[in-house]
Amino acid sequence: MRRLALRDIVLLVMLGVVFGFLYWALVQAWNGLAIAMGPAGDLAQHVLLGGWLLVAPIAIAIIRRPFVGILAEVIASVIEVVFLGSPAGPTLLIAATLQGLGSELPFALTRYRRFGWWVYALSGVLGALLVFFYSAFRFGWFGQEILLLRLGMQLVSGLVLGGLLAKVIVDALRRTGVLDEFAIGRADAALGGPRRVG
Amino acid sequence: MTAAGVAPLARRNPTAKAAVLLVVSLGVILLDAPAPLLALWLLALAVARWAAGIGWRRLLLAQLPFLLFAIGVVSVNALTRPGAPLLDAPVHLSAEGTVLGLAFALRGFVIGTASLAFLASTPPRELMTSLVQHARLSPRYAAALLAGHRMLEATPERWATIRAAQTVRAPLDRRGRPRFGLAGFGRTAFALLVVSIRSSERIALALESRGLGDGPRTVWHPVPLTRADALLAAAVALAVAAVVAACALTLGWHAV
Repeated sequence: MRRLALRDIVLLVMLGVVFGFLYWALVQAWNGLAIAMGPAGDLAQHVLLGGWLLVAPIAIAIIRRPFVGILAEVIASVIEVVFLGSPAGPTLLIAATLQGLGSELPFALTRYRRFGWWVYALSGVLGALLVFFYSAFRFGWFGQEILLLRLGMQLVSGLVLGGLLAKVIVDALRRTGVLDEFAIGRADAALGGPRRVG
Repeated sequence: MTAAGVAPLARRNPTAKAAVLLVVSLGVILLDAPAPLLALWLLALAVARWAAGIGWRRLLLAQLPFLLFAIGVVSVNALTRPGAPLLDAPVHLSAEGTVLGLAFALRGFVIGTASLAFLASTPPRELMTSLVQHARLSPRYAAALLAGHRMLEATPERWATIRAAQTVRAPLDRRGRPRFGLAGFGRTAFALLVVSIRSSERIALALESRGLGDGPRTVWHPVPLTRADALLAAAVALAVAAVVAACALTLGWHAV
C-alpha cells in the first residue's frame, strides 16, 4: 500500500490540534454546567458524544485513503492526552481506535467513493455504537436502569454531531478552496468544480 | 535542565514510562472495589509528588477534574442501580450502587494521577524521539506531531485574532458590547479550521524541504534506554500486585 504523503499526515495532526483545542474550550464551559446539574450531568454529557467522532469522517472525506479515520482519531487522542493532559489518560487511545473503526466502516464499504448524506449518517451511528460497548464496560453502565437511555442518546448524538455535521463542515471547507490540493479537491476538479456535491 | 529534569522519574525512558502507564491503566479498569483502588491512588499521589516532583498545590488542583467526574459517577450509580437501600426517602439510594460508583470514581483518580506524573516528567520532544528509537514510530509522524505541539501553543492566539476581526462587525447587545453566542463560537471555530488547514500545508512543505519526507534518519540527542527502565517497570508491577494481593488477603477476593 502507498504510504501517506507528509502533507496528509500534517493535516491529520492539524485536525487533531484544532478539534482538541475546541473540545478543551467546550469542556471548560461544560464542566460548570455539569456541576449545576448534579447526577443529571453524567447523563447529559452524552448529548455531546458525537462531537468526539467528527475528526474521522472529515479526515476520510478529505484524504480518501484506507485507515485514515482510525489514524485521525488516534492522533487526536494522543494530542489530547500528551499535549492537553486529558484526565482520561491512555485509556482514551482504546476509545479512539474503536470510534475511528466504527466511523470508517461505512466509507470503507463504498471503497472511499461515495460521500453522500447516508454514508456520513451511518458513519456517525456506527462510531457511536462501537465505542458504546467499551464505555459501558469502562464506566460500569451495564446493570444500571438507564442503559438503553444512554445508548439512545449516544446514537442520536453520533448521527447528528458525528455524522451529518461532518458533511456540513466538509462541504463548507471545500467551498473555501483550502482543500484544493488534497484528494477531495482533485476529485472535485475532475468532476468540474466543488459545487457539484455528491 | 528544567525543574522536571531533576526529578527521578524524568531520568527514565519515555517509551518505558508510557508502556507502564498504559498497562497500569488497563489493569485498573479490571478492578471494581474501592479498597485497592484507594491504595493505588495514594501510591500514584506519592509517585507524582516525589518521583515526578510535582508540588502539592499543583497536584491538588489537578485532582479537581477527577473530583467533578467522581461526583457525577457516584450519584448516578447510587440512584440507578438496584440493591439494599442506603436511604429510601426522598429517593432510593442503593448501597451496592454507591460502593460501585466509588470504585469507578477512584479509577479516574488513579489513572488521572498516574498520567499526570508521566506528563510532568516527560518533555514532548524526548517522548517522540524515544518512540522513534524504541517503538518504531515513523519519523514523519513524530515530526508532524511535534509541529502540531507548536501549533497547539499558537492556537489560542489565532483564536483571539479571529475573534478580534469578527468583533468589528458583531451585533451589539443592549449595553453596546459585541454579542456572540453559540453561532458566533461556530463561526470562529470554522475560521480557525480554515486558517489551520492552510498553515498545515505550509508546515508540510517546510518539513519536506528539510528532508523529513523520506529516507532513514539519524537522531539528534538520542534518548537512552537502560536497565534502570526495566527495574522501574518491574517495581511498578510488583507494587500493584502487592496492593491487590494485600486487599484480597485481608478483605477477601470480593474486595478486589
